[in-house]
Amino acid sequence: MNIIVCYKFVPDPEDIIAKPDGSISFEQAEWVISEYDLMAIETAVQLVEAHGGKVMALSVGGSQLSNSKGKKDVLSRGPDELYLVIDDALSESDTHLTAQTLAAAIRKMGEFDLVICGEGSADLYFQQVGLQLGELLGLPTINAVSKVEVADGKLIVDRSLEDEVEVLETVLPAVISVTTDINQPRLPTMKEILKAGKKPITEWKLSDLELAGKAEKRIEVLNVRSPKQVDRKRIKITAKPDEAVQTLIGYLSKEGVL
Amino acid sequence: MAVKDLWVFSEKTSLQAELLAGARTLAEATGGGVAAIVVGDETSAKAALAQGADKVFWLGEKADKLVEDFVPTIAGLVQSHKPCALLIGASKRGKAVAGRLGAALDTTVITDVKKFFVEGDVIQASHLIFGGGAVRVEKSATETMIATFGLGIFEPLAADPSRQGEIIQVPFIEPKTRWTLRERKPKPPSTVNLAAAKKVVCPGRGLQKKEDLDMIFELAGLLEAEVGATRPLCEGLDWLPRERYIGVSGAFIKPDLYLGIGVSGQAQHTVGITESRVVVAINKDEEAPLFAQADYGIVGDLYAIVPELIKALKARK
Ligand SMILES: Cc1cc2nc3c(=O)[nH]c(=O)nc-3n(C[C@H](O)[C@H](O)[C@H](O)COP(=O)(O)OP(=O)(O)OC[C@H]3O[C@@H](n4cnc5c(N)ncnc54)[C@H](O)[C@@H]3O)c2cc1C
Repeated sequence: MNIIVCYKFVPDPEDIIAKPDGSISFEQAEWVISEYDLMAIETAVQLVEAHGGKVMALSVGGSQLSNSKGKKDVLSRGPDELYLVIDDALSESDTHLTAQTLAAAIRKMGEFDLVICGEGSADLYFQQVGLQLGELLGLPTINAVSKVEVADGKLIVDRSLEDEVEVLETVLPAVISVTTDINQPRLPTMKEILKAGKKPITEWKLSDLELAGKAEKRIEVLNVRSPKQVDRKRIKITAKPDEAVQTLIGYLSKEGVL
Repeated sequence: MAVKDLWVFSEKTSLQAELLAGARTLAEATGGGVAAIVVGDETSAKAALAQGADKVFWLGEKADKLVEDFVPTIAGLVQSHKPCALLIGASKRGKAVAGRLGAALDTTVITDVKKFFVEGDVIQASHLIFGGGAVRVEKSATETMIATFGLGIFEPLAADPSRQGEIIQVPFIEPKTRWTLRERKPKPPSTVNLAAAKKVVCPGRGLQKKEDLDMIFELAGLLEAEVGATRPLCEGLDWLPRERYIGVSGAFIKPDLYLGIGVSGQAQHTVGITESRVVVAINKDEEAPLFAQADYGIVGDLYAIVPELIKALKARK
């Protein structure tokens, strides 16, 4: 089976810097594959290992996607081919424009049986792209998938909701978004890293695709701030364990929280 | 704003009540009405009126369908009435309905909204991005803003069964794609309610092995606290169930006491504890970011401090 796995390339959320004026900066940030998409990639690779076929990785975004380390990183995790849509217009895309672009790229990529997305992106975490993409492609689509099985052209999934797990079935092709606990992504081996450099990469710009509408966003960002910090007492106790504990208990009983 | 009405949809009754209360507040600012979209029996349709809706679009009983199968029906309604906002309950199912609706209506969705307000003539929504590292305010570039809200954003109104309103029956539109439900497996009922806990003891990766949770639970028992956790303990190490982790992708808590043990204090975690009254940190690294966000901190090895704390609390009993 042919599987397309979508991933986002993001600034590492742990590298975010809050500036004194309340704005935030990513100048120092390393760009990485969004953590949640590693599970989507692993799901695709495991399915192809079990059923044969190939995995095509797909990402759309701004110029950071041209980064050769990033390309090698994704290919060393098992996909056979890489497709990228790189365009400045996509660097601050919303989920609508991302889903539109992915849909157009997928239509151009040709035959496929399954599209897999992560639960949400590590930077914006809207948890929307897989669902919007499925609807745009006119295919069955579902989120919160924690287990996947394929048999006789059918897809059977466990869907992990707040209070129950649904076992659902549909006919392929389909689009799914997988949870972070569906698997433990393997680390790339040296062999895979060496192989990655020889795998085919196709790069497009937005103008190479036929989008269903104009390349427009549907939300307007009004401002971005670091969250308000709460004023805390910041009393640090450095003493031998028994003394430190007594001091703490003194404070906590004064606060009335014991 | 052409049409000023606000609409609400959630398959969870308690969330629906909160969304209706939120929509009512905003409707005062827009000067519009509030409608609920309800899947269920006639009693559920009436319940939405009691919870604060002026009008109910009643889609009928779910029967053997999934809630997601109603997406084309809801899309049709939104297209013909064009409310200025559609508030959807941010369950997994709600997010699936929202996403498909967003695509079907050529728009998008703002998820997990924290604040929802009208400024001038424009509805704005703020939510957390970058794992809680930033707050972003957005508005919709299309006529209808679709947004999802979790529990606890709005206070529900007291149900008023005497409230009157119109119930409009809406015929079902067959979806083009479908999932067949083979089986439902109930999850064991959640035994923790972190959001309601008065005290929370939260171990982090400073804990070396799963067995060490025993002393954490003992400490929590003495304090009459719930046990929360940082994400790595629930996802990755799998020492505790997912519903126990606190932070941007987990629970938001507001206890009187939060006690972080071996927790570094990354933004993704600490956004979930900002509403705690007293924050305490125990960490062996003097530079751990949690100290800057704590009222009291002990710099030291948790394996020395926690047993002392247990001993001292026992002595107080
Ligand atoms: C998109 C995204 C979303 C995320 N969402 C969440 C979320 O919702 N919730 C969440 O919790 N995390 C979340 N994370 C993960 C988060 O970034 C941190 O990695 C995580 O919170 C760190 O957990 P920790 O403090 O337990 O571990 P660490 O950061 O490893 O800290 C362990 C701490 O223990 C201390 N320590 C070690 N040994 C001892 C000892 N013997 N005695 C005392 N102290 C000791 C160390 O000094 C250190 O400070 C998210 C990450 C991303 C990228």
